[in-house]
Parts: sequence; C-alpha cells; structure tokens
Amino acid sequence: MEQKQKKKDIELEETELPEKKPLDVSNASSDEMALESDRPFLERFRKGFVNFWRNKSTIDLLKYIGKRLLLMVFTFAVIFLICFILVRLLPLDPGQSMKDPAVFNEMMVAQGRYVKIIKEDGTADYQPMPVLMQLGNFFKNLFSGGDHPFGYSFKIEWLSSPADLLGSHLTPTVLMNIYVMIVSVPVGLALGIYMALRKNHWEDHVLNVLIMLVISVPSFVYAFVIQYLFGYVWQILPPLAASSSVNYFSPTYFRSIILPVMSMCFGSIAGYARYTRAELTEVLTSDFMLLARTKGLSRAQATVRHAFRNSLVPIFPMILGEFISILSGSMIIESIFNVNGVGGLYLRSINDRDYDVFQFVSMFYILIGLLGTIVVDVSYSIVDPRIRMGGGK
Amino acid sequence: MEKEVMTFNTDSSMDIKAIPSELFHKKEENENLHDQAFETKPVSYLRGAMMRFAKNKASIVAAIIIALLALYAIIVPIVSPVMHLDATEHPNGFSDPNFMYALPYNPINKALNLGWWDGTEVENGCSAMDLEILELDDSNHSPLVENIETVNEQILPGQFITYYKLRVDSYAVGCKEINVSEAEYNKLVAYEKEQGIYRTDKSIMKPLVDYKSYLASYKEELIQKRDEGAALGVTGSLTDAMISKILDFMEGYYNQNQRIWYQLGSFESPTYVFDDNTYVIRHDDNGKPVPIYEMKDGNYVYERDNLGKITIRVDYYDYFIFHNGFEPRFFFGTNSSGQDLFSRLAVGTGFSLLIGIGISIINFIIGLIWGAISGYYGGTVDLIMERVTDIISCIPSIIILTICAIQFTGNAELKSTIGSGGVIILAFLIAFVYSGWVGTAGTTRMQFYRFKGQEYVLASRTLGAKDPRLIFRHILPNAAGTLTTSSVLMIPGVIFAESSLSFLGIVNFATSGLVSVGSLLNEGSGAGLKDNPHMLFFPSLVISLLMICFNLFGNGLRDAFNTTLRGSED
Repeated sequence: MEQKQKKKDIELEETELPEKKPLDVSNASSDEMALESDRPFLERFRKGFVNFWRNKSTIDLLKYIGKRLLLMVFTFAVIFLICFILVRLLPLDPGQSMKDPAVFNEMMVAQGRYVKIIKEDGTADYQPMPVLMQLGNFFKNLFSGGDHPFGYSFKIEWLSSPADLLGSHLTPTVLMNIYVMIVSVPVGLALGIYMALRKNHWEDHVLNVLIMLVISVPSFVYAFVIQYLFGYVWQILPPLAASSSVNYFSPTYFRSIILPVMSMCFGSIAGYARYTRAELTEVLTSDFMLLARTKGLSRAQATVRHAFRNSLVPIFPMILGEFISILSGSMIIESIFNVNGVGGLYLRSINDRDYDVFQFVSMFYILIGLLGTIVVDVSYSIVDPRIRMGGGK
Repeated sequence: MEKEVMTFNTDSSMDIKAIPSELFHKKEENENLHDQAFETKPVSYLRGAMMRFAKNKASIVAAIIIALLALYAIIVPIVSPVMHLDATEHPNGFSDPNFMYALPYNPINKALNLGWWDGTEVENGCSAMDLEILELDDSNHSPLVENIETVNEQILPGQFITYYKLRVDSYAVGCKEINVSEAEYNKLVAYEKEQGIYRTDKSIMKPLVDYKSYLASYKEELIQKRDEGAALGVTGSLTDAMISKILDFMEGYYNQNQRIWYQLGSFESPTYVFDDNTYVIRHDDNGKPVPIYEMKDGNYVYERDNLGKITIRVDYYDYFIFHNGFEPRFFFGTNSSGQDLFSRLAVGTGFSLLIGIGISIINFIIGLIWGAISGYYGGTVDLIMERVTDIISCIPSIIILTICAIQFTGNAELKSTIGSGGVIILAFLIAFVYSGWVGTAGTTRMQFYRFKGQEYVLASRTLGAKDPRLIFRHILPNAAGTLTTSSVLMIPGVIFAESSLSFLGIVNFATSGLVSVGSLLNEGSGAGLKDNPHMLFFPSLVISLLMICFNLFGNGLRDAFNTTLRGSED
C-alpha cells in the first residue's frame, strides 16, 4: 500500500516536469534499450557505473540523500523527544519483583534520574527527577561517554544494558528474515511472472484468489495452522524454536525455525507475487514490447530482457526496503514460535514493564523505519535514472 | 425489426442499395417523425455504483457474511441462556470450572455420529485402570463413549502392556460433591420427586462417598503390612513417613476425582515396596470393586450438614440442568475457567466490529478535516501540516498503546471513574486515533489538490462563496466516492491491529470484563495449541472471515465507485 502510494507520488513528479524529460520515454528509449541489452552485461555494467558517477544527476542525487538524512535526523530527534518524555512519565515501580531495588535506585541516582531523599527516620526515599532534567542528564551521560547511557534492564536481564540485550537478540531475527527473503523473493517473483503471462487464464484466477486469501488472513492464523499441523498433528518438525543455548547456525536450530520461516514466507510471497503481476501486466502491454517482438525477439526473450527488467523498477526498492527491515522481527510470529529474537525481546519488555529496553528497542525500530524509507526512495532513482527524486519544479 | 434498421443506419460502410426493400415503408402524410424519448431512466452516480456493486458476486457474498457475523454478535448475547444467569452467582459472566476445556459440541454431528465436533475426545494410551474408572462411573452419563482400539505392546520379550484408545465424552464430568443451601436442597428434592427419580438409579443426588473413614482403615492396614514386612525381614519402602505420604496423596486424589466410589490402594510389589503416586482399584473376591459409600443403619447417606449448608453428591451434568435450566453443551467448547466460547466469541466479535467501525469513523472525520485544510489552503499551511503528519506517522501505534495502557491502568482515579473496561477502550481509542487518520488525510489532501483548481470552484468563488462553502459544498462531494472506499478499507486494518495487539497481550483484558477476538486468541494460545486447538480455531476463523470479507467488500465498493469502469463489463 505504502509502496504504491510512493510510486504514485513519483509519477506525479514525473508528469510535472514536461520540459526536462521526455514524457513519452517508452518509444524513444526502447530503441537504445534494445541495443543496450545486446551488449555483454559486464561492459554495460562498467559503463553504467562510470557514467553514473560522472553524471551531474549523481551529484543531485547525493545532495538529495544528504538532505533526506538531515531531515531524518531532525524527525528522529523530535520522535525521540516525544517518546523519551512519554516513557519517563510512566509510573516506574521497580520494587515489584525486582532483585535488589536499592542497587537499582542507586544506579538511577548515579544517572541523574532519581533524587535520593533521606527521611527523618534514616530510611532513603527515591523520587524521580523532573523529566526535562532527566533529559539533560541523559544527554550529559551520552556525550561524556558514561557507562550505560541507555539505562538498565531490571526484569529481562538484571542490570544489563539494553544495547547488549538487543545485540544478543539480533542474530535469530536476522537469520530468520534472511531465510524468508531467500525463499520468498524468487518464489514470489516467479509466481508473479507466471500469473502475468497466464493473465485471465484459470491458473491466474486460482492464484489470485489464493493470494487474496493469504493477504487478508492475519499472519497469526496461518502460523497457528502451520504449527498445529506440522508441529503437533504430523510431528514432522519441532513446533517451537530451539532455545537460545543452541548455536544459531547449527542444523538443530535451522530445523526448529523452519515453521516460523514458513509462516512468514506466505505473506511475503503473496505480496511479491501480486505486485509483480500488477507491474508486469502493465509493462507487457507497452509499445516497446511490440517493438521488441517486431525486431524478432521471441516472447521469452522479450519478456525477460525488456518487460521483466522494466517491471523491476518499483519491485526492487520494495525488496530493498524489506531487506532493511530484516533487523526488525515480527513480534507475532516470534511470540507464537517462541523465537528468541528482537520481536520477542520487545514484547517481553512491554509485558515486563522494562522501560529502558522498551525505549531502546522502540527507537531502534523507528530508526530502521526511517532509514528504510530513505533507502527505498533513493533506490528508485538508482534503478531507473529516469526518475529524479526530489526534483524541484 | 426496429433494431435491425438501427444497425443498418449506424454502419456507414453499408451499401445503401443493398438494404432490402421490405425494411422501408412509406411515410404517412400526417405522421410526425421525431426522436423517441429514452425509455430507460437516467442512471445517477450512486445508482450506477450500486449496480456495479451488485454485479460483483464476491463482494455481495462478503457483505452477506459480514451481516451474518454482525447478527451473530447481536443476537447470541440476547438469546443465549448463558448470558442470562444470576449476576450475583456469576459476577464476570457465566463460568463453571467443572466444565473447563469442554470440547465443541454440535448436536447435528452427534446425531449423525460423525465422530468429530460432538464433544468427545479420543484419548490415546489409556491404561486398564483408566478404562475401569470410566466404566465404573456411577453418574447418569457414562463418560466412556467407545473403546476404539486395544493395543498390546511388547515391552520385553514375553511381557506385554495393554493400552486402550478410548473415546471420552468431555461433558460427562461425573459426580461432584457440592454445598447447597437448605432452600436449594428442598427445591432439588421436590424436583426429583416431580420427575419420579427421587432416590432411584437416575436420581441427581447420589450417595455420599466416605473416603475419610476408608482411609483411616487403610492406614491400619498399611501399618499392619509394615509390621508384617519387618517381621519377615523384608526391607520395603513402607516407613511411617511413606504411609502418611500415601494417605495424603490418596486423600487429594479422592478429592479431585469425585467420581470414584470404591476402594483404592497404593500400588505394591510383593516385596512391600509401595508407590505413593500409583493407585490400583481394589477388588473383592468376586472381582468387583469394594464400595465406600457412606452408610447409616444399612442405608445410603445422601446429605451431610456442613456449617449451615448441606453437602450433597450430585450427578453434575443433571444438576447443572436443574440449577441453570439449560443443558451444559457448548457449541464452541469452553475455556480454562469453563466459560462458554460461543457467547464470548459473539461478544468479542461485537467488540471488535464496534472498535473497528467506531475508530474508523473517528479517523475518517479527523482525516477529512485535516486533509481538507491542508489540501485547500496549500502553501505554508500545507508544509507545516505535512511535517506534523510525518512525525506522527513515524511513531508506531504500538508505542502509544503501550504507554497509554500502562499509564491508564496505573491510574487508580481514572480507573474508578470509567471502569477497567473503559480504560482499555480509552487506550485503544488514543492509540488508533493517534495516527490512524493520517492515511485519510493524505487521500483527502490529494483530492483537494485535484479539484480546487477546477472551473466550478472558481465560478463559485467569483459568486462570493466563502472557504467553508467551497470545501464542504463543492469539493468534498466530488471526492466522496474515493474517500468512502478508503475508509471502508480502514475498518479491517483497525480490527486486525486491535486483534493482534490484544493477542500479544499488550493490553490486558483479564480483569476488565471485556472480550475481543484478540483476547480470546490470547487465552487460546495460553491454553496451548496442542491440547486445546478449539480455543484458537473458532476465534481464528471469525477474524479471518472478518478480514477477508471486509477486504472483498471494500474492493467491491472501490470498483463500484470508480466511474472509469462504467460500462466496461457490459
């Protein structure tokens, strides 16, 4: 949905600049493209690379990236401020089921988050500082290189740094998402191409219905179905991911995360297939396809060399965007299959009220989201030089 | 005939001379030739949309399913007897722990004897003792439906273990000891007499089991055994500590399994080694179990005084019918505290639908106003408003929801004013409204950019129309179609977000008295997918149906309102 919106925006921009770029690119450039595609790939790639860096538009692109990064820093700062204040305003009650509240409170005092008040009867009472002072102390800590600038976890792992916790939970998530990508990108694209070529045949209709079902049905529903059938009824594969004590790259672990990977793949494959089909059907009816066929290319050649490449223009950024988001796991799938990943950590931090971890992981998610949008936007103009992101009027 | 002429006239390549002469007729002198008026009515925008929508079979089916689900959510809580029980007895809605994890029961499947969805369960690997306990059940409803298979498994050469594969009725919970008031007891006696089952085989009240005095005598027996063993010099496991342990465990076992009315003994080997956790049924010389019913003067005892209440042992299934007035059969089964899933799912579906539609409406209104202002005024106003939406849409609603949920549930004052259910609704409201309107605002803004430069707006402005009039009377009606469909597609989004967040347990429904499909899913995954798949199956089915149907319905609406498709299917 988002991707589509973006594409629309880009199209709008394109149509706004009639004098700068030829509107009817399909005819004019298809000749060149047809010739280009006959040259050896490496040479073309090298030439394209050199051209890319010599081009004036590359400098524009770099400027654009810089601008976007600056904007991102600004946006991130604002979001950080909002989240910081909101989280620090939460009622912190470390007393409940905490190992040693006194130790924790002392650390909070050292970080400038609490004030220690000695009462008349000699007992210490800890009160939180005003939030803005906490903010100031946080930055002081951060820039003076004090230890644990991001606070402490007090429930998930006693007094460990949220950054370390996140780091230790990243591996399974990244691993799982990479497996998902390895499976879903080729399968999804292949399905999409097949559907586009068989458009309005019965195969296309059946697949369309299936894809609609998979996209509509919430992921946890088919995660349950997969887990129940494969894990419990047929007992082919372990229903839950192996514990974190197992080496993440061992075959045992791989076997145990096949089911979560499967449940994540369904949605991904359906998304890619639907998108590829939509793009490819559009490209297949273009004029340059007719030209390619007239020139004597077979249908397969024309499809692979001309149609598919052009249809990749919006699909590639989508894949890239997904690649960025491999760092952020799926909370639902990870909690169903008990995967010890980032999503699971986030969920635990919420349910255990472990605020520092919650805040840190939230910021991590937001940063990844922001970076992802930039990468997607920039990649549009790298994949297809006709698109000039951020071009003025 | 007329049609044919028409086709000839419109086809310009037709050779006029080739038209057969019988198609012509001579014009009468006083005949008026003029165009005929349209016989069909002109199709308005809305009517055309309706017609296009009606042609889309999938959308119609989807709309019907949504309507059925809504009906289910409305009617079941009204009709279901489960929802109309005494509020003092069931403050949080019906629940009966005796029927916990009861399996889904469908009377049709039961009547057809299909073997699934009939409240029965296949239990593998039952021992001979398990089978005997089920067979000896003294209630009116035998828990044993059928003995499917007997497996003889060889564990050692010449040594066999017999297992049974049994089909067990999960509703036949057997007899239970309960405490009732005297009024209730008298009512029960009157009821039994009226039914003619008082003190018969089929009576609800069954004789009390006096396991305490049996255990006292069993203790004597064990002590005797210990002494015997000591005299023979056999060093078994039977120490004083072991004896008291055996008796403690057995008392607990009798307490938990109130369908047992006969003597149990600890499993013993010939060498006086006893197992405190394994029991056997003790048989008399005829191979019959030895009853331990409470007797008085040679008669069974049916009631016992207990601190002003009367303790009776009842066939719980029949007692339930007497007490609540309906049969304890649950269409979708029950959960860990014996709550009926069918009615809870209806309430949950209603809640999810209400949340989905209500929040979508709020989001739609806010987005409409925001987008209208941003799109209509443009320039600096637009720039600033766009940056605000940028920042808002970057903070995931899960963060806001978490913060709201923690903040509100910790706030005793707020909780006492709007109740713990209200707290949850408020948290959802803030979290979903917070960034949910951004999409609508974006669409509205685009529509305004599209229409605001058009001539009719200029004309109206020239005639002196003010901004609100231009916005609401001229531009908005033109954008209505696009905006409506985008808002319909927002509903499944909200329902999905709500159900997944409550499934993850980020919002805790436990004490609030509220139910949503997501919280039922959370309950179900807590109960274990392996053991109680029914608790996940039905909520999953409902949420899937809701999502599929709303998406189909929304897509159908979008196509229907899309005027460029007009006539394309004809």
